[in-house]
Amino acid sequence: MSRIETIISELSSISNNPRKAMEDYKKETGKGAVGVMPYYAPEEIIHAAGLLPVGIWGGQKSISKARAYLPPFACSIMQSVMEMQLEGVYDNLEAILFPVPCDTLKCLSQKWKGTSPVIVFTHPQNRKLEAANKFLAEEYRLVREKLERILDVKISDEALHKSIDIYNENRKVMREFTDIAAAYPQIIDPIKRHAIIKARSFMEKSKHTAMVKELNSELKSLPVEDFTGKRVVLTGIMAEPNEVLEILKENGFAVVADDLAQESRQFRNDVPLGTDPLYRLAKWWQEFDGCSLATDAKKSRGPMLIDTVKASKADAVVVCMMKFCDPEEFDYPIYYRQLEEAGIKSLFIEIDLETTSFEQTKTRVQSFSEML
Amino acid sequence: MFTMGIDIGSSSSKVVILEDGFNIIAGEVIQIGTGSTGPKRVLDEALSKSSLKLQDMARIIATGYGRSSVDEAHKQISEISCQAKGVFFLVPSAKVIIDIGGQDVKAIKLDSKGCVKQFFMNDKCAAGTGRFLDVMSRVLEVNLNEMAEYDSRATEPATVSSTCTVFAESEVISQLSNGVAKENIIAGVHQSVASKACGLAYRCGVEEDIVMCGGVAKDEGVVRAISKELKKPVIVAPNPQITAALGAAIFAFEEVMGTNK
Amino acid sequence: MTDTTNMSAKELLGFYQEELYEEARRAKKEGKLVCWSASVAPSEFCVAMDIAMIYPETHAAGIGARKGALDVLEVADEKGYNVDTCSYARVNMGYMELLKQEALTGKTPEKLEKSPAARIPLPDLVITCNNICNTLLKWYENLAVELNIPLIIIDVPFNHTMPIPQYSKDYIAEQFKNAISQLEEICGRKFDYDKFLKVQEQTQRSVAQWNRIASLSSHKPSPLNGFDLFNYMALIVCARSRDYAEITFKKFADELEENLKNGIFAFKGNEQKRVTWEGIAVWPHLGHTFKGLKNLGNIMTGSAYPGLWNLSYTPGDMSSMAEAYTRIYINTCLDNKVKVLSDIISGGKCDGVIYHQNRSCKLMSFLNVETADILQKQNHLPYVSFDGDQTDPRNFAPAQFDTRIQALDEMMKQNKEGVSNE
Repeated sequence: MSRIETIISELSSISNNPRKAMEDYKKETGKGAVGVMPYYAPEEIIHAAGLLPVGIWGGQKSISKARAYLPPFACSIMQSVMEMQLEGVYDNLEAILFPVPCDTLKCLSQKWKGTSPVIVFTHPQNRKLEAANKFLAEEYRLVREKLERILDVKISDEALHKSIDIYNENRKVMREFTDIAAAYPQIIDPIKRHAIIKARSFMEKSKHTAMVKELNSELKSLPVEDFTGKRVVLTGIMAEPNEVLEILKENGFAVVADDLAQESRQFRNDVPLGTDPLYRLAKWWQEFDGCSLATDAKKSRGPMLIDTVKASKADAVVVCMMKFCDPEEFDYPIYYRQLEEAGIKSLFIEIDLETTSFEQTKTRVQSFSEML
Repeated sequence: MFTMGIDIGSSSSKVVILEDGFNIIAGEVIQIGTGSTGPKRVLDEALSKSSLKLQDMARIIATGYGRSSVDEAHKQISEISCQAKGVFFLVPSAKVIIDIGGQDVKAIKLDSKGCVKQFFMNDKCAAGTGRFLDVMSRVLEVNLNEMAEYDSRATEPATVSSTCTVFAESEVISQLSNGVAKENIIAGVHQSVASKACGLAYRCGVEEDIVMCGGVAKDEGVVRAISKELKKPVIVAPNPQITAALGAAIFAFEEVMGTNK
Repeated sequence: MTDTTNMSAKELLGFYQEELYEEARRAKKEGKLVCWSASVAPSEFCVAMDIAMIYPETHAAGIGARKGALDVLEVADEKGYNVDTCSYARVNMGYMELLKQEALTGKTPEKLEKSPAARIPLPDLVITCNNICNTLLKWYENLAVELNIPLIIIDVPFNHTMPIPQYSKDYIAEQFKNAISQLEEICGRKFDYDKFLKVQEQTQRSVAQWNRIASLSSHKPSPLNGFDLFNYMALIVCARSRDYAEITFKKFADELEENLKNGIFAFKGNEQKRVTWEGIAVWPHLGHTFKGLKNLGNIMTGSAYPGLWNLSYTPGDMSSMAEAYTRIYINTCLDNKVKVLSDIISGGKCDGVIYHQNRSCKLMSFLNVETADILQKQNHLPYVSFDGDQTDPRNFAPAQFDTRIQALDEMMKQNKEGVSNE
């Protein structure tokens, strides 16, 4: 196996088996893990406490027990998270960090069915005001206090600054990776690309950084080959399960950039410089744009998508619509119109983690590739 | 030279055999779809009707939900492209296609050359599909092929507005028990199907000519309701169930001739 | 000016609702500013600046109740709004689209012509507040960008921990200041602080009369049917910062007290069981839901929803005003939500609870299971839930509703006859 293949296979196995990643971390450091619910929680605080932040993104599974607690019109990511809570999947986490940027998460934050303590905090939505930074820094101060109490640790400012540096380094390397990957679609297909990015949700970030850094330089040493397929940008919450990405791959699509909450949105911006680490983390949220969960009077998502399409020389946008995600559903009519006006074609596919039938997605994707 | 298009849908199987890219030798339909004996039977029927053998086909293209399970096919093309191809062949003035099949509703926008410019499909919900009509026909105890006739006698269409098939079923049942005439309920059912399809058509941009195809296009009640909603005439493609299979056969011909992109 | 002194409360309600729409249309004609506002966004700032106000949620509910929702919902569908999103938002986005078409082409679209609801003018600015859901953030973002007009946001962070911390009130109060400077810029003149104080005081008087009505449902039998509050709600939404609301509510409360004195109750005949309705009304089927309960001898004497506008605060104190706007029960943790609802149920002396699983409103649906569970453990009262929608008639099945409330009725009967309900 080449070095590239080895790294990809290691990252893929981590991304497919977060439980093992947690156990390995425990073996190595003697320390546990803290669950991180979507979206945009300040993982750095957990990292600074020496624990492993583990992203909770649901998974592909059929829903039965959760039906008792959630009506069918809740998004499928939360349906599957609820199902796994009821199965006790998250019970060995030391705590759960729980942001509430949408109505569904507000409700879910009040009904955790597992045994781990839940730490809820609210992102401010009038984000461009200085008062919002102050508010969020206060929320983060409480998050830190609660974590310190639950984990019986001290989280110093110094440790926080250090963790922020480690995360910023990872963000930078990830941005480099997505750029480089776009040039090597024959090697980094949509499934591998997703696995490499998703692995960062379950790994100590400096480790992830080191592996991706090496992958980047290995990739760059290879000649760039012509790609005859179509280049697309993904937008939405996530592009799972893998069957969806398989369908893209089968139809000759390469993902050359993404605007997914599970992927690039997390590392698009660095945490800015400053003296108070919690204020720095709060300020990240102020500078962050183009996401349905971060209120934006200017609604810059459409223009940002258009810029991404241009910068990545993409042929089209694939809208990965999380079923029943109302923030995403509200953004769609606006950016759809803006893309049309800019002459950019887009394909709408529905993301449903529970589904096992992908026939309609296949038809849509194949038709789209025939149309482009 | 003969080419073949096979369209295996969710509730029916269709085969078209084409001679020299324009002469339809056979166009067969069997009302059971993927996973059943339908695909094999419709294939045998088309061959025996045309007295041809599978080996006589220069190229075979499969389309429809069951397209990947057709071993005989050399290639698969999505039913959206095939519908566009088939309909444009039959009605070259077509700008918008409304295709209502067993489990999908599609609106397809064509450019002047008949290529797909944009398309929209229903979400994962049976409302507005052929399956929805099946359920309603069972509840109302009226055969599918009689529904249009009932509709034409409606005096005051009932409202069947539920988005969900289960709710719509209970809506219809309670109307029946309130003594609403079946004619009026069926007209309401047709309107509800039309409103789903038209929602997609509007998103494409409605432009004449509008052509309907798919199994449901055989139900004149639906066609009337769509035309009324869009306030524009709607052309039903000749033999509307086989248009996708026809498109596949044309694609096959073009590929043999090397004229396709 | 019309003489309102001899009008009944019901007449006042109709009169002032129409008057508000007329004022907005007139303002538009005269080149004055019109603002569209979320239903529980602070109205005080705009009213202090003499801006005419329109409340899309109330307008959408009106369209729904008059059976005109489907036409405009279809317009929103065509624009790509998913049928799974809030139907108030979709009705309003559809309606806005029709108004926009009219403004651009000079021709009135047929669906607008036909719409049974009051005509409203397009806004020059919009103001939103997420104290009743984050959907209002997304919806108003879209209005602002579709119409290219300023958006005033009052963000009240979800209160995951009660009591409400001071830093949260500070953040909201800072936003009030920012809203004021946005308004100064939009209006091109200084903010009128004197008038603002008067408007705050007016708002308190309106709220006091509103609370006076709501408290009357504690009488048994009750002079007030909760469904009346759904109707009168229009003015606590649209006119709480004006005397219109105060005048109407005072009249209504006076009438009800008079009725009470004379032994006239809301339920004609004999009120048998009293229920709490948790959630928004099903506007397109309001009559059906009302009659369904009535035919079983049930009266609704509890609903937390009208309590959203219990916005009591100290005029002149921004921090107190901030607290009033953020403490809305659906913007707080489950414990507090349950506490509020528990008070409503006991205040209304209710025998059972109906939960509206509202397809349009995730925030008011996703905690119903837990809320019902905790409350039943406390009060041992039976409950049912039904599937519905505030304004999309397609998401409600009358037959399902009837069966559910009949079952509730039977359980309540059993309970009253002393059979335990374990």
